[in-house]
Amino acid sequence: MSISDSTILSVQDVSISYLAHRGKVRAVSRVSFDLHQGESLALIGESGCGKSTLNLGIIRLLPKTGRIDQGKILYTTRDGRVVDVLGLSEREMREFRWAECAMVFQAALNSLNPVIRVRDMVYDTAQAHGRHDRVQIRKRMLELFRRVRLDPERVFNAYPHELSGGMRQRVLLALGVLLNPQVVILDEPTTAVDILTQRTILEVLRELRAAMGFSIIFISHDLSIAAEMADTVATMYAGEIVEIGPVEELFYRPRHAYTLGLLEAVPKLSVGAQELVSIPGSPPDLIEPPPGCKFHPRCPFVTERCRREPPPLVEEAPGHRVACFESARVLAHSQPVR
Amino acid sequence: MGDNGSSQPLIELQNVNRFFRQGRTRVQVLQNINLAVAENEILCLVGESGCGKTTTGRIMVGLLEPSSGEVRYRGRPVNTLRGKDRAEYRRALQIIHQDPFASLNPAHTVGQILAFPLQRHRMAEGRGGVRRRIWELLTLVDLTPPGDIVNKYPHQLSGGQRQRVSVARALTVNPRLIVADEAVSMVDVSIRISLLKMLHRLRDEYGIAIVFITHDLALAKYFAWEGRIAVMYLGRIVELGPTPDIISRPAHPYTRALISAIPEADPQITRSKQRMVLRSEDIPSLLEIPPGCAFHPRCPFFVEGVCDTQLPTLEKVPDGSQYAACTPLTRGQELRLYGS
Repeated sequence: MSISDSTILSVQDVSISYLAHRGKVRAVSRVSFDLHQGESLALIGESGCGKSTLNLGIIRLLPKTGRIDQGKILYTTRDGRVVDVLGLSEREMREFRWAECAMVFQAALNSLNPVIRVRDMVYDTAQAHGRHDRVQIRKRMLELFRRVRLDPERVFNAYPHELSGGMRQRVLLALGVLLNPQVVILDEPTTAVDILTQRTILEVLRELRAAMGFSIIFISHDLSIAAEMADTVATMYAGEIVEIGPVEELFYRPRHAYTLGLLEAVPKLSVGAQELVSIPGSPPDLIEPPPGCKFHPRCPFVTERCRREPPPLVEEAPGHRVACFESARVLAHSQPVR
Repeated sequence: MGDNGSSQPLIELQNVNRFFRQGRTRVQVLQNINLAVAENEILCLVGESGCGKTTTGRIMVGLLEPSSGEVRYRGRPVNTLRGKDRAEYRRALQIIHQDPFASLNPAHTVGQILAFPLQRHRMAEGRGGVRRRIWELLTLVDLTPPGDIVNKYPHQLSGGQRQRVSVARALTVNPRLIVADEAVSMVDVSIRISLLKMLHRLRDEYGIAIVFITHDLALAKYFAWEGRIAVMYLGRIVELGPTPDIISRPAHPYTRALISAIPEADPQITRSKQRMVLRSEDIPSLLEIPPGCAFHPRCPFFVEGVCDTQLPTLEKVPDGSQYAACTPLTRGQELRLYGS
């Protein structure tokens, strides 16, 4: 199993599908990427593009109808061993989730048990992961609550309903990093919170990351969060990574028509009157996706070749890979805009 | 306030208060709202959850009554309108809701959804007339060809298409104003703009005024660039004025905080933005609205003995075109960081 030195998580050629009445839904198709030590990777894309499925696949928490059809997910443990997450036993997997790779879900209300206090939830979860030293756990939890700017004692003894949405999201964040994981996956970390609360969460996340050094994968449909938080951005469309690269590359020199389309559809505050355009059409059916490039029915740069042949993901600039036959034209088009 | 002087506003809220009961307690969700919308105008109500923007929209269209204060339609108090006049008011103001999955009857086809108000309000003559009008409406909201859509049920449509059906339904009664309450927040980013452009076109072609309610300031900026923005906080309007001024020269500390907090879809801009630090991160409960200016416990420019005691009123900002409810500011004082 090959994996470069600083790579903490290497997703290799992973496909995930769901079984539906009408047939097999190919939610994630042959996705590959590497996550490095301390890196922050944003997965952007619209609903149904496979970004949540991919992350549930990484921690193997897919719903019953979901299946990982192929691929490898290689993870480097702290002592330097490389393991394939897909080959771990259920017991090993329990240790992997949270202690190695923590997931922070969106909709903080649903992720906290409403009938028990935060502290009991902390103790329960810690126990389930074999951490029995309550004094130690309490101490560390309070310290983390302070770090995420919560009133430690109050929150520790509170019921979830006594906390606001933004506070709950920060509780989940602190809980997520309790066991000092190497990777933290955040699913829409600031969706459904207010602007000023969102700002607090982003800052707290940045501080935690600086202090603890974990790597981040975060899923967002909000490009501005990616612009602010990510080192690397991957655009997903119809279950595939269609473009991945350093954040400034992707935002200032997009090479895939879909990334460009998203950028041209998002208003910016600091720019005066803006001419924006929507992407025509809607995302494809993943049971019978279109042949060739899956984006071709919506793409303004489409050619005959795009309708026939699926474009491979090719590195066109350092660290910048794109799956588009017409990337040169897309890049040329994107230039006068910025 | 702030409307085009001579022309009579289409709809006007005057000193509107609204309370809701929660058990034995009374929650004030709107406090002294004064707001007028002119024909053909675009007005955005922005603010965080619980600020009262949706309640304001619902009071405008008559879905809710104010607890005190008055709503005027073309100058006449709506609670005095009877019969035909009342029907005209109710037709003239329509609302589009946030969730296109919940606001359309799942058991009716698009054709039925649109036919019902046309027949009920006699907006079209006979079956042929209704059918023709449905075709026109679907074309107007870019659901073409209408023949492909008219027999479909809501679940067969995408979120964006459903929202277009909601707009078509609002248009059946030839409204003069549409309140769009978070109308695109559940629609994917890539197709939001086309919905907003369609609303713009309806305004340009039919003179329909639009009150656009959103929590997303960047979207408000784009949509209401030629109109006005009202920023709300805990049931009050804290700033009101032409969009370009509100966005590029915000006056009220709360508006400034919002604008400085928003991440932007541009890595260099968003990482170099000046961020305003608030004195507190806790949003006060509507049950215990702070005295004086409701923002004072969080405001970095808090002036002791002024902000915590005097209720600020919406007044013209010195050397600005907007109105703000901030006592030190509208008195012409320079805002200084608290404790400095």
